[in-house]
Amino acid sequence: MSNETDLVRRDEGTLAERDTPARRAALVPAVDIVEDKTGVTVWADLPGVPKDKLDVKVHDGRLSIEAEACVPTPAGLNVTHVEVRAPRYERAFSISSDLDTSRVDASLQDGVLTLRIPRREAALPRRIEVKAG
Amino acid sequence: MSDLFFGNFGTDLFREFDRLQQQMSVLTAGRPLSLRASPGVFPPINIGSTDDSIEIVVFAPGIDPAALDVSIDKGLLTIAGERKRPEGAVHEDARSYARERFAGAFRRVVELPSTANPDDVQAKYNDGCLSIRIGKHESSKPRSITVQ
Repeated sequence: MSNETDLVRRDEGTLAERDTPARRAALVPAVDIVEDKTGVTVWADLPGVPKDKLDVKVHDGRLSIEAEACVPTPAGLNVTHVEVRAPRYERAFSISSDLDTSRVDASLQDGVLTLRIPRREAALPRRIEVKAG
Repeated sequence: MSDLFFGNFGTDLFREFDRLQQQMSVLTAGRPLSLRASPGVFPPINIGSTDDSIEIVVFAPGIDPAALDVSIDKGLLTIAGERKRPEGAVHEDARSYARERFAGAFRRVVELPSTANPDDVQAKYNDGCLSIRIGKHESSKPRSITVQ
Protein backbone atom coordinates (compact mmCIF):
# COMPACT_ATOMS: atom_id res chain seq x y z
CA MET A 1 0.00 0.00 0.00
CA SER A 2 1.53 3.23 -1.04
CA ASN A 3 1.51 6.39 1.04
CA GLU A 4 1.14 8.48 -2.06
CA THR A 5 -2.43 7.33 -2.53
CA ASP A 6 -4.70 10.18 -3.48
CA LEU A 7 -7.12 9.85 -0.61
CA VAL A 8 -9.57 12.66 -1.25
CA ARG A 9 -11.39 10.81 -3.98
CA ARG A 10 -15.08 10.66 -3.27
CA ASP A 11 -16.80 13.35 -1.37
CA GLU A 12 -19.36 15.95 -2.12
CA GLY A 13 -17.06 18.28 -3.93
CA THR A 14 -15.44 15.72 -6.14
CA LEU A 15 -15.88 15.87 -9.86
CA ALA A 16 -17.06 12.72 -11.53
CA GLU A 17 -15.31 12.92 -14.87
CA ARG A 18 -16.33 10.58 -17.64
CA ASP A 19 -14.27 9.31 -20.54
CA THR A 20 -16.73 10.28 -23.27
CA PRO A 21 -16.27 13.96 -24.13
CA ALA A 22 -20.02 14.38 -24.45
CA ARG A 23 -20.40 14.12 -20.65
CA ARG A 24 -19.39 17.18 -18.71
CA ALA A 25 -17.96 17.08 -15.22
CA ALA A 26 -20.59 16.73 -12.52
CA LEU A 27 -20.71 16.62 -8.76
CA VAL A 28 -22.10 13.69 -6.80
CA PRO A 29 -24.75 15.06 -4.42
CA ALA A 30 -24.83 13.80 -0.82
CA VAL A 31 -27.88 11.67 -0.01
CA ASP A 32 -29.63 10.24 3.01
CA ILE A 33 -31.54 7.02 2.34
CA VAL A 34 -33.98 5.53 4.80
CA GLU A 35 -36.30 2.54 4.41
CA ASP A 36 -39.32 1.70 6.48
CA LYS A 37 -41.95 -0.94 5.92
CA THR A 38 -43.92 1.16 3.47
CA GLY A 39 -41.08 2.18 1.17
CA VAL A 40 -37.86 4.11 0.72
CA THR A 41 -37.22 7.82 1.24
CA VAL A 42 -34.22 9.58 -0.33
CA TRP A 43 -33.08 13.11 0.52
CA ALA A 44 -30.50 14.66 -1.83
CA ASP A 45 -28.59 17.93 -1.37
CA LEU A 46 -28.93 19.96 -4.55
CA PRO A 47 -28.14 23.56 -3.61
CA GLY A 48 -28.81 26.17 -6.24
CA VAL A 49 -31.04 23.93 -8.35
CA PRO A 50 -34.39 25.38 -9.39
CA LYS A 51 -37.27 23.04 -10.20
CA ASP A 52 -36.98 23.49 -13.95
CA LYS A 53 -33.35 22.36 -13.97
CA LEU A 54 -34.00 19.11 -12.13
CA ASP A 55 -34.49 15.86 -13.99
CA VAL A 56 -35.54 12.75 -12.06
CA LYS A 57 -35.93 9.70 -14.27
CA VAL A 58 -36.95 6.15 -13.52
CA HIS A 59 -36.22 3.52 -16.14
CA ASP A 60 -35.77 -0.23 -15.98
CA GLY A 61 -35.13 -0.41 -12.29
CA ARG A 62 -32.76 2.56 -12.33
CA LEU A 63 -33.46 5.89 -10.72
CA SER A 64 -31.33 8.77 -11.95
CA ILE A 65 -31.06 12.33 -10.69
CA GLU A 66 -29.62 14.99 -12.98
CA ALA A 67 -29.65 18.63 -12.03
CA GLU A 68 -27.99 21.88 -12.88
CA ALA A 69 -27.47 24.65 -10.38
CA CYS A 70 -27.66 28.25 -11.38
CA VAL A 71 -26.62 30.90 -8.93
CA PRO A 72 -27.18 34.39 -10.27
CA THR A 73 -23.85 36.19 -10.22
CA PRO A 74 -23.12 39.74 -11.28
CA ALA A 75 -21.22 40.52 -14.45
CA GLY A 76 -17.46 40.75 -14.23
CA LEU A 77 -17.21 38.42 -11.26
CA ASN A 78 -13.68 37.29 -10.48
CA VAL A 79 -13.91 34.07 -8.48
CA THR A 80 -11.13 33.73 -5.91
CA HIS A 81 -12.08 30.74 -3.76
CA VAL A 82 -13.99 27.78 -5.13
CA GLU A 83 -15.25 24.83 -3.15
CA VAL A 84 -18.12 23.90 -5.44
CA ARG A 85 -16.47 23.66 -8.84
CA ALA A 86 -19.13 22.48 -11.23
CA PRO A 87 -22.80 23.40 -11.30
CA ARG A 88 -24.04 19.95 -12.44
CA TYR A 89 -25.17 17.18 -10.12
CA GLU A 90 -25.58 13.55 -11.14
CA ARG A 91 -26.37 10.40 -9.23
CA ALA A 92 -28.10 7.14 -10.04
CA PHE A 93 -29.42 4.25 -7.99
CA SER A 94 -30.72 0.85 -8.86
CA ILE A 95 -34.21 0.21 -7.57
CA SER A 96 -35.18 -3.28 -6.51
CA SER A 97 -38.37 -4.75 -7.95
CA ASP A 98 -40.35 -4.64 -4.72
CA LEU A 99 -40.51 -0.86 -4.98
CA ASP A 100 -43.26 0.69 -7.05
CA THR A 101 -41.55 3.02 -9.49
CA SER A 102 -44.82 4.23 -10.97
CA ARG A 103 -45.74 5.96 -7.73
CA VAL A 104 -42.58 7.91 -7.00
CA ASP A 105 -43.25 11.17 -5.22
CA ALA A 106 -40.63 13.90 -5.67
CA SER A 107 -40.46 17.38 -4.19
CA LEU A 108 -37.76 20.03 -4.26
CA GLN A 109 -37.61 22.53 -1.42
CA ASP A 110 -34.73 24.88 -0.58
CA GLY A 111 -32.31 22.81 -2.61
CA VAL A 112 -33.26 19.50 -0.97
CA LEU A 113 -34.85 16.86 -3.20
CA THR A 114 -37.10 14.47 -1.29
CA LEU A 115 -38.02 11.27 -3.11
CA ARG A 116 -40.52 8.82 -1.73
CA ILE A 117 -40.71 5.42 -3.41
CA PRO A 118 -43.42 3.22 -1.94
CA ARG A 119 -43.35 -0.53 -1.94
CA ARG A 120 -45.54 -2.43 -4.34
CA GLU A 121 -48.88 -3.48 -2.88
CA ALA A 122 -47.97 -7.12 -3.21
CA ALA A 123 -44.65 -6.59 -1.46
CA LEU A 124 -46.05 -4.94 1.65
CA PRO A 125 -45.56 -7.07 4.74
CA ARG A 126 -48.76 -8.76 5.77
CA ARG A 127 -49.88 -11.15 8.42
CA ILE A 128 -51.16 -14.51 7.32
CA GLU A 129 -54.10 -15.72 9.26
CA VAL A 130 -53.77 -19.30 10.45
CA LYS A 131 -57.04 -21.19 10.54
CA ALA A 132 -57.45 -23.77 13.27
CA GLY A 133 -58.44 -27.36 12.47
CA MET B 1 -10.19 5.15 -1.05
CA SER B 2 -10.12 1.53 -2.23
CA ASP B 3 -6.64 1.06 -0.76
CA LEU B 4 -8.09 1.49 2.69
CA PHE B 5 -10.15 -1.65 2.31
CA PHE B 6 -7.25 -3.86 1.32
CA GLY B 7 -4.55 -2.48 3.62
CA ASN B 8 -4.23 -3.11 7.33
CA PHE B 9 -6.66 -1.27 9.50
CA GLY B 10 -5.31 0.39 12.60
CA THR B 11 -2.21 2.44 12.00
CA ASP B 12 -2.70 2.82 8.25
CA LEU B 13 -6.22 4.13 8.67
CA PHE B 14 -5.16 6.77 11.17
CA ARG B 15 -2.25 7.82 9.02
CA GLU B 16 -4.62 8.30 6.09
CA PHE B 17 -6.90 10.42 8.22
CA ASP B 18 -3.94 12.55 9.25
CA ARG B 19 -3.05 13.09 5.63
CA LEU B 20 -6.67 13.97 4.86
CA GLN B 21 -6.59 16.51 7.67
CA GLN B 22 -3.44 18.04 6.22
CA GLN B 23 -4.90 18.17 2.76
CA MET B 24 -8.04 19.85 4.08
CA SER B 25 -6.03 22.43 5.99
CA VAL B 26 -4.01 23.19 2.85
CA LEU B 27 -7.21 23.69 0.90
CA THR B 28 -8.67 26.01 3.51
CA ALA B 29 -5.42 27.84 4.34
CA GLY B 30 -5.65 31.57 4.21
CA ARG B 31 -9.25 31.56 5.40
CA PRO B 32 -9.32 31.62 9.19
CA LEU B 33 -11.62 28.93 10.50
CA SER B 34 -13.10 29.62 13.88
CA LEU B 35 -12.10 27.21 16.64
CA ARG B 36 -15.62 25.90 16.67
CA ALA B 37 -15.82 25.30 12.91
CA SER B 38 -17.30 21.95 12.00
CA PRO B 39 -14.76 19.47 10.62
CA GLY B 40 -16.53 18.35 7.50
CA VAL B 41 -16.50 21.62 5.51
CA PHE B 42 -20.24 22.13 5.44
CA PRO B 43 -21.48 24.29 3.88
CA PRO B 44 -19.11 24.78 0.94
CA ILE B 45 -18.46 28.37 -0.06
CA ASN B 46 -17.52 30.09 -3.28
CA ILE B 47 -16.02 33.55 -3.02
CA GLY B 48 -15.62 36.08 -5.78
CA SER B 49 -15.30 39.79 -6.23
CA THR B 50 -16.29 42.45 -8.69
CA ASP B 51 -15.13 46.02 -8.93
CA ASP B 52 -17.62 47.22 -6.39
CA SER B 53 -18.57 44.21 -4.30
CA ILE B 54 -17.51 40.95 -2.76
CA GLU B 55 -19.83 38.05 -3.53
CA ILE B 56 -20.04 34.99 -1.33
CA VAL B 57 -22.25 32.00 -2.11
CA VAL B 58 -22.85 29.47 0.65
CA PHE B 59 -24.32 26.15 -0.53
CA ALA B 60 -26.54 25.19 2.41
CA PRO B 61 -29.69 23.37 1.31
CA GLY B 62 -32.52 22.55 3.70
CA ILE B 63 -31.98 25.40 6.15
CA ASP B 64 -34.55 27.82 7.51
CA PRO B 65 -33.19 31.26 6.56
CA ALA B 66 -34.63 32.83 9.69
CA ALA B 67 -32.46 30.52 11.80
CA LEU B 68 -29.26 31.42 9.94
CA ASP B 69 -26.89 33.68 11.78
CA VAL B 70 -24.87 35.89 9.44
CA SER B 71 -22.76 38.58 11.10
CA ILE B 72 -19.72 40.74 10.42
CA ASP B 73 -17.30 41.68 13.15
CA LYS B 74 -13.89 43.31 12.68
CA GLY B 75 -13.58 42.27 9.07
CA LEU B 76 -14.67 38.68 9.63
CA LEU B 77 -17.90 37.42 8.12
CA THR B 78 -19.40 34.55 10.12
CA ILE B 79 -22.13 32.25 8.83
CA ALA B 80 -23.51 29.96 11.49
CA GLY B 81 -26.55 27.76 11.76
CA GLU B 82 -27.82 24.29 12.34
CA ARG B 83 -29.30 21.69 10.06
CA LYS B 84 -31.51 19.01 11.52
CA ARG B 85 -32.27 15.67 9.94
CA PRO B 86 -35.68 15.52 8.29
CA GLU B 87 -38.38 13.91 10.43
CA GLY B 88 -38.79 10.68 8.54
CA ALA B 89 -35.15 9.83 8.99
CA VAL B 90 -35.16 9.28 12.73
CA HIS B 91 -37.94 6.76 12.91
CA GLU B 92 -37.61 3.69 15.12
CA ASP B 93 -38.41 1.02 12.59
CA ALA B 94 -36.65 2.80 9.75
CA ARG B 95 -33.38 1.44 8.44
CA SER B 96 -30.82 3.96 7.24
CA TYR B 97 -28.78 2.95 4.19
CA ALA B 98 -26.91 6.18 3.61
CA ARG B 99 -26.25 9.18 5.80
CA GLU B 100 -23.98 11.36 3.74
CA ARG B 101 -25.71 14.69 4.28
CA PHE B 102 -24.33 16.83 7.03
CA ALA B 103 -26.56 17.42 10.07
CA GLY B 104 -25.76 19.49 13.09
CA ALA B 105 -24.36 22.89 13.88
CA PHE B 106 -21.96 24.57 11.48
CA ARG B 107 -19.95 27.75 11.36
CA ARG B 108 -17.87 29.19 8.53
CA VAL B 109 -15.78 32.31 8.80
CA VAL B 110 -14.50 34.36 5.89
CA GLU B 111 -11.91 37.07 6.21
CA LEU B 112 -13.02 40.16 4.34
CA PRO B 113 -10.51 42.52 2.77
CA SER B 114 -10.18 46.03 4.14
CA THR B 115 -11.97 47.36 1.07
CA ALA B 116 -15.21 45.73 2.24
CA ASN B 117 -17.85 48.04 3.68
CA PRO B 118 -19.71 46.21 6.48
CA ASP B 119 -22.58 48.65 6.33
CA ASP B 120 -23.49 47.62 2.79
CA VAL B 121 -24.41 43.94 3.06
CA GLN B 122 -27.26 42.06 1.42
CA ALA B 123 -28.04 38.40 1.93
CA LYS B 124 -30.55 36.26 0.04
CA TYR B 125 -31.45 32.60 0.47
CA ASN B 126 -32.67 30.93 -2.74
CA ASP B 127 -33.00 27.22 -3.57
CA GLY B 128 -30.62 26.28 -0.80
CA CYS B 129 -27.95 28.86 -1.71
CA LEU B 130 -27.20 31.81 0.52
CA SER B 131 -25.84 34.68 -1.60
CA ILE B 132 -24.12 37.45 0.32
CA ARG B 133 -23.10 40.67 -1.36
CA ILE B 134 -20.79 43.03 0.49
CA GLY B 135 -20.20 46.40 -1.12
CA LYS B 136 -16.75 47.91 -1.20
CA HIS B 137 -15.87 51.30 0.20
CA GLU B 138 -16.42 54.00 -2.39
CA SER B 139 -12.84 55.16 -2.09
CA SER B 140 -11.49 51.71 -2.92
CA LYS B 141 -13.40 51.22 -6.15
CA PRO B 142 -11.23 51.55 -9.21
CA ARG B 143 -11.58 54.84 -10.92
CA SER B 144 -9.88 56.31 -13.93
CA ILE B 145 -8.22 59.66 -13.68
CA THR B 146 -8.39 62.02 -16.60
CA VAL B 147 -5.17 63.69 -17.51
CA GLN B 148 -5.53 67.32 -18.44
